Amino acid sequence: MTIPKSSYFTTASYFAGSLFEIKHSITKHFNLEENNRNLQLENIRLRSNTPSFLYEVGRDSLSFIDTSYQQQYHYIPATVINSTITKRNNFFTLNAGSIQGLKRGLGVFSSNGIVGIIHACSEHFSIVKSVLTADINIDVMIKDNGAFGLLKWDGKNPNKGEISGITNDIKISTDSKVVTRGGSGIFPKGLMVGKVTEVQSIEGKSVWRVEIRFSEKYAALENVYVIKNLFFSEMLALQNESEGN
Amino acid sequence: MGRFYTFLFRFLLFVFLQVFIFNQLEINPYIHIMVSPLYIMLLPFEMSVIRLLLVSFLLGVFIDAFSNTFGLHASSLVFLAYIRPVVFRWFAPRDGYDNIKTPSIFDMGNRWFLIVFGSLLIFHHLWFFTMESFSFGELLLILQKTFPSALLSFTVCIILQTLFLKKSN
Repeated sequence: MTIPKSSYFTTASYFAGSLFEIKHSITKHFNLEENNRNLQLENIRLRSNTPSFLYEVGRDSLSFIDTSYQQQYHYIPATVINSTITKRNNFFTLNAGSIQGLKRGLGVFSSNGIVGIIHACSEHFSIVKSVLTADINIDVMIKDNGAFGLLKWDGKNPNKGEISGITNDIKISTDSKVVTRGGSGIFPKGLMVGKVTEVQSIEGKSVWRVEIRFSEKYAALENVYVIKNLFFSEMLALQNESEGN
Repeated sequence: MGRFYTFLFRFLLFVFLQVFIFNQLEINPYIHIMVSPLYIMLLPFEMSVIRLLLVSFLLGVFIDAFSNTFGLHASSLVFLAYIRPVVFRWFAPRDGYDNIKTPSIFDMGNRWFLIVFGSLLIFHHLWFFTMESFSFGELLLILQKTFPSALLSFTVCIILQTLFLKKSN
């Protein structure tokens, strides 16, 4: 079943979005402490990589302008103002819309892990198709050995997901990290998704049933980043070109 | 005319209750409390089927617009409104329905309400969760969701009636 792409009659509409913004102004304090701690931890992680916070060993070393890196991703901050986690298909409402440059198909993640893909946008609000959806199909991989598959959710437990399509000739150890693969250009490579909790063989099939625990607690989700791949259209054009031949 | 405004006010109240209270109560994935069927249930006996369908579609679209369900509530409420006259006819009292009365638990009695609203609610929930999953591979999940949710919705609907309704005449 395909879900309509329009933003009318969803919480991305101006009327519903504004009402949920009011609701959020009341409920946002419920998870404040945990959310603040998560942001603080992320800040620490980022600061530990910043050159100005590192101890310089060779003080007289040559300074140079680094041109070997170019910015590929653009991040837009947003706040989740309404979310569900127990429905079969869960959508989150963000308080940022097309004015901030959001559009359908952009990836959304938080400091702890991936969140979903933007489904529809109005001017001021947008709704995110979260990873807690039947057909989210984000390409993920096991960090240790690079085995990749698609992320699925069976609709039962909002903390657990599944990876489908990993053939059973590859050994997977539990507790290994699962990260995004970055193949579709929506997410960069290496964003945290979760950890493997269980690996089972399926009878009569040559693939594993890999169960993972999401690193993000979607029940208390508040601050997210929308990610915009600046080379996305270039990648898409190239892929279309090669498919045409 | 007074009754029209009662139902209009009740319409808005039910949208509010469903969207801002019961949709926010996320106990676990198997329980989804829906009170909107009670609004359709409490519409007058003599209301024509076409009007019934229109009102339930409208209520469904309103709730859908606030819960990102893309027509799920609308479709299940229209289904409920469609089978309501049928179920009413099955369990009609010997001398038909009295138009002065309303189909509430106080006017029609506990037993009638339990059977009629209970079966309507199970049909409604079954339709809702079937449409939500939209795959018979998840039949077990659908049933696991339908019965606990219907039971809890039924309890909440009875509480709502005892809080806000009284016996007419």
